[in-house]
Amino acid sequence: MKVLKVPARTIAVFILPCLLLYVCLVFVPILVSLYTGLLKWDGLTSSQFIGFGNFKDMFLNDPVFWPSVRRTLLYAVASMLEIPLCLGMAILLNRYLRRANTLVSVYFTPVILSVVIIGQLWKTIYNPTSMGGMLNGVLVSLGLDSWTHNWLTEPNIAMYSLYLVSLWQYFGYHLLIQYTGVQNIPDELYEAAKIDGADGFKADRYITLPLIVPIFKISIILAFIGSLQAFDLVMVMTGGGPAHATDVISTHMYNSSFMSFKYGYGSAIATFLVVVCLVFTGIINTVFNRLERKYN
Amino acid sequence: MVNRKMKQTATITFAAVMAMSLAACGNSNNTSGTNTKDNAAPNAAAGSGNAAATDAPSDKKVTITFQNIYPDPATPAYKMINELSEQYQKEHPNVKIELDTLNTDQQKVKLKTQAASKEVPDITIVNPAAQMKPFVDAGLFAPLNDMLEQNGLKDTYQEGLLDYYSFDNNVYALPDGNNIEVVYYNKDLFAQAGIAAPPTTFEEMLKDVKILKDKGITPLAIGEKDSWTGSFLFMNILLRTNGGPGFLQDVLDGKKTFEDPAFVEAVDAFQALVQAGAFPDGATSIDANAGGNIFKTGKAAMWSIGSWETGAIDASPVAGKVGAFQFPTVNGKGDPNEFMLAPGSAFAVSANSEHLQETKDFLNFFASEYPKKQFELKNAVGIGQKVDGDLKAAGYSDLAVNIAGLFNQVKGGDLAFDNTMNPATAQVHLSSIQNLFVQKMDSAAVAKEHQAAFEANK
Repeated sequence: MKVLKVPARTIAVFILPCLLLYVCLVFVPILVSLYTGLLKWDGLTSSQFIGFGNFKDMFLNDPVFWPSVRRTLLYAVASMLEIPLCLGMAILLNRYLRRANTLVSVYFTPVILSVVIIGQLWKTIYNPTSMGGMLNGVLVSLGLDSWTHNWLTEPNIAMYSLYLVSLWQYFGYHLLIQYTGVQNIPDELYEAAKIDGADGFKADRYITLPLIVPIFKISIILAFIGSLQAFDLVMVMTGGGPAHATDVISTHMYNSSFMSFKYGYGSAIATFLVVVCLVFTGIINTVFNRLERKYN
Repeated sequence: MVNRKMKQTATITFAAVMAMSLAACGNSNNTSGTNTKDNAAPNAAAGSGNAAATDAPSDKKVTITFQNIYPDPATPAYKMINELSEQYQKEHPNVKIELDTLNTDQQKVKLKTQAASKEVPDITIVNPAAQMKPFVDAGLFAPLNDMLEQNGLKDTYQEGLLDYYSFDNNVYALPDGNNIEVVYYNKDLFAQAGIAAPPTTFEEMLKDVKILKDKGITPLAIGEKDSWTGSFLFMNILLRTNGGPGFLQDVLDGKKTFEDPAFVEAVDAFQALVQAGAFPDGATSIDANAGGNIFKTGKAAMWSIGSWETGAIDASPVAGKVGAFQFPTVNGKGDPNEFMLAPGSAFAVSANSEHLQETKDFLNFFASEYPKKQFELKNAVGIGQKVDGDLKAAGYSDLAVNIAGLFNQVKGGDLAFDNTMNPATAQVHLSSIQNLFVQKMDSAAVAKEHQAAFEANK
């Protein structure tokens, strides 16, 4: 602030337009859905205030809710576990390849494809043997007939099939972020370390990792929030079925609001989602702030 | 100096922002203002009978938005809506018809979203009875009674059909069809499996399913990702085990519960089909269109679906090889002449339309011309209006003539589950039936789940 030599009031005025926009487009809708979450409302006709009735139903009586929360969180954990893998890959690419850009672009391709296309593609890969599914076809030709499954319709497997597609799609995205981060670390540091006798893995441990922490944090938060909001892929591939076996929080919210005409209840689920997002983002931030302080 | 300039800029920016935010507030006020006004208007019109109808349509330029669900250019329905709209625009140069063409699921969601902000398109598509009730209760649709009286439109509809679209003696939508559920079967595949005739009992049907399955032919096509397909078939079984129509109505009236033996028996029969391997592998990830294509490309022997598919089957690779039969009796119960009835999607007019009169005039024209046009386009099987002309002479297929014949045998029947029960109960039902495709369930537990959902969402 002092560097700018501008009174605080002026800064406030210049921030105002963005702030207003942000308040209108983000905070107000959140507050509105907080409020509609307290209503018994079909979204069309008149509503009735029922206090925390929706939340009580959600936490105690809804057989679909907790399993969908569990699946969402598992989704989040899986996508966060993917990031270290991306980082490792990025480090290897940076060390052993002169021009890794082509390779990184190839990894990135699935990200630019629409989720609908990805979904349709993987649906044909996952198809049952009788419908010519590729994955099952490969298994059969390897003589592993007993390993074949109806990947998207067996309730115990379907969700994991979806996780895999999502991890596959976003691998390139996080790889690109990590790769850029690794590239931005100045070569001088490594050269100096080499003189001091730190090379290879040791250099990664003491130079790359500490310096990549902020980038790593971005990827983790993006992966986490992204997976909490996972919706499109589930909708395209299974629609939450069979019988809710692949429902996540957001699809359950959608089905409640728009298919069951329980708009108030859907808003209550949305509120829960917002709270979970805020709490976990807070936790992730604290953890990483500590890490950053440690390395500074 | 710099400081003053800064302050000036700041003031201007601030003023601009204030103006913008005020405009935003004002806007929302405006919308709600017009809404209340428009909401009052149709009520007044309904109250004073034909008051609205006597207003002569003016020559002012109007654009009528027509939301519809006929997106496939290969289908007769697509040609029908485009040709009729063009014809009307030619005759009424001041009217522009803007088609908002979507597929069924997209349209449902879009309408729901538009309804939430009271911005329903001039003409939109709704489903009958329980499915359109929330919209009618919210006062979003204009009553069409006055318009139905014009040009004798009302008399073109089949007796009683408009009842499914009427609430408190007001008709709120005009159906695009009136269909029944039949089982289509591929004669070639039946012959290949050595099955002489289509089944007349459920037990025979199960036996045929097993024979077809052993020959490596998918017995029954279905696309259960869209869960209404399984429900439609299940309800046909329930119509038999209940010994006649009215089960859901009895539940609604409190005379029966879902734990009634008829319902449990229907679940058992349905599970017998699943266990016999009647459906394609991975049925719950196949969407409705893809499910139909399994039959239309000759890979499945049977398909239990609404008669609205007749035209599409005649235009598919299996044309000429397909017959249709009535759903058989189950455990000796039920009458094959009772059908699952499917009064079609229907055209409704927004109560908030800025040019209500012009919209009604157009819809009157559209609905009056509709049967003739559909007949011309060989799509007249299962339309809800009387149509002059002999199908056979007009070059319709044997299948179409056969289906048209079945219509004459209809002795009554039931509406689909989601047309009878409220949406929340219907959703529980749909996913409960979907579950039967992937897991063997205790049928009593399925019945209990239905009853619990019904009571929780009364």
